[in-house]
Amino acid sequence: MLRIRHGHGGSVIELSKIVREVGLAAAILAIALAGCSSKKPPPGAGEGGLGSNPSGLGQEGMSGAGGSSLSQFQKGQLGSGEQGPLSDIHFDYNDYTVRQQDTEIMHSNADWLQKNPDRHVQIEGHCDERGSEEYNIALGAKRAQAAKEYLQTLGVAGDRMSTISYGKELPLCTDHTEDCWAENRRDHFALTE
Amino acid sequence: MKIHVAVVVAMLIAAMPARALAQSNLPSKLPPIQITGAGQLYPIAVSGLKDLGGDDAHNVSRVFDTTLTRDLKLSSFFRIIDSQAYIEDPQTSGYDIGQFNFGDWRSINAEFLVKGAVTRHAGKVKVEALLFDVGEQRRMMGKRFTGKSDEVSEMARRFADAVLEAVTGKRGPFTTKLAFVSTRGGRFKEIYTSWLDGGMLYRVTDNPTINLFPSFDRSTQHLLYLSYKTLRPELYLVDLSQGVERHIAPPLGMAVGGTLTPDGRIVGAFARGGRTNLYLLDQSGNQIRTLTDNGAINVSPSVCSDGSQLAFTSDRSGNPQIYVMNMTGGEARRLTYQGDYNTAPAFSPDCKKIAYENRSSGIINIFVINLNGGGARQLTNEGFNEWPTWSPDGRYLAFSSTREGDSRIYLMLAADGRVIAPLTRGEGNATNPSWSWWLGD
Repeated sequence: MLRIRHGHGGSVIELSKIVREVGLAAAILAIALAGCSSKKPPPGAGEGGLGSNPSGLGQEGMSGAGGSSLSQFQKGQLGSGEQGPLSDIHFDYNDYTVRQQDTEIMHSNADWLQKNPDRHVQIEGHCDERGSEEYNIALGAKRAQAAKEYLQTLGVAGDRMSTISYGKELPLCTDHTEDCWAENRRDHFALTE
Repeated sequence: MKIHVAVVVAMLIAAMPARALAQSNLPSKLPPIQITGAGQLYPIAVSGLKDLGGDDAHNVSRVFDTTLTRDLKLSSFFRIIDSQAYIEDPQTSGYDIGQFNFGDWRSINAEFLVKGAVTRHAGKVKVEALLFDVGEQRRMMGKRFTGKSDEVSEMARRFADAVLEAVTGKRGPFTTKLAFVSTRGGRFKEIYTSWLDGGMLYRVTDNPTINLFPSFDRSTQHLLYLSYKTLRPELYLVDLSQGVERHIAPPLGMAVGGTLTPDGRIVGAFARGGRTNLYLLDQSGNQIRTLTDNGAINVSPSVCSDGSQLAFTSDRSGNPQIYVMNMTGGEARRLTYQGDYNTAPAFSPDCKKIAYENRSSGIINIFVINLNGGGARQLTNEGFNEWPTWSPDGRYLAFSSTREGDSRIYLMLAADGRVIAPLTRGEGNATNPSWSWWLGD
């Protein structure tokens, strides 16, 4: 059998560790469910497989506006919460320039960030469902970067802003219509601690 | 008399992840398939294995025949003659030349015939399978397999590969795996692997986020994928036989995607400051080479099977197009000029063609183009069709399509786009298929 040997160190995650963590999480879950300890956790809650992370829900200290879009999605609450103090902006198809009609929103977002200098923001780039996933993650990165640079020109310090792209993975609207696509092509501004 | 003795190394490799990571609640039975668009098919009879001792209730024979029959159907080269029509009983007739009557098979219009025998003793199964040309009354090929009871379906896949080789001159693709993304069982996108025919479905990831872009190396021991499991997109390299994985995190920015080269190195796409570029990394994530370096988007790497060339998507011209460059570096050459949205290139195993997806008038279809930029052909025309991946024999493409509503993985002939069958059924959306090399090669 062909085997390629890896070097030591690095960030190799051992299965035994994963199993221990899953076991612990399953135990906590069992206690939370008031004594179902003889039952296996439900499918999707850590039955084998690599990189189980059942405790990863909503981590990373997101706050305000319900945290990042991904943690909202994990809770099944994507798009259902209120916007928070910072508003989304939207983009043209396959484009990443901040639109003329969104300059007012960007000024208002910048004002809020100036008045709350202790707050940090994660700018999320999102795309519509058309096109390949990988290209859309790169396009979302451009959209997030465009907003970051725009806010910098309005005086918000770059080190208070991080960027992430979710590509087309977290749509607010799932119909296959132009209106829906336009709603999904957005930057969302999630406050972090 | 010539009988090839096949040592079934691949089975051990294939069985390893399931053992190491255990606890799979996924069905082991093959889902039914419906073959569509059949053309000219060779009629073949699969007669059943003669029990030479220990195959009580003919269980080995049944598993072998079921898998072989399914694979031969999926090949789209054969029509299986219904066993109800068979005149000979495999248990009372012989299985090698001179021990049975070819007339019994000619009379039911079989052009080819599979016969064989099985012995089972102390958990060890020995199968001998033979292929005959009925018209010429000639033995074409034979194989002997030895393994455990749960390895019988793998023996059948190996034999199916050999049947295709004996009849068409080119080995079949059935001792291969597909990796893909599926939302089955919930809202989250998880990575799965299975045999091409759907056997041994195995879930690689288990986290309540988004997992994308699985790809195998040549040994099928390693699998690379992108995951948001830390809430940020990052690349992970799984060692499937050891049940461990490595976080690939070079200081190059946010991971966007990636693929494995045949020898197990990584081509990763990383975004920094809005630019997304491609880098060659070793298995620990150390940078070996910068492959692209510009302000545009450079994503969706695909490395040809000899490791010499790279295809990828770039929007450096203003919209996404397919480019090709040498893995040693240098200038990239633009390959596609038709349409303003071409992505997801996949090198054919002979490194002469590239399959990709094209978006025009809102519809997404699979195309194939020659490496010299000529001969672009549209292969699909129903639903949205994405993310093509080639079989290692170059005969087939798997891709995802919404033609029946939810996204499923389909199998088609690369030569003419004839769709053979869906490889996944219902149970959420299946996307991002990635075909392995032959196991054990």
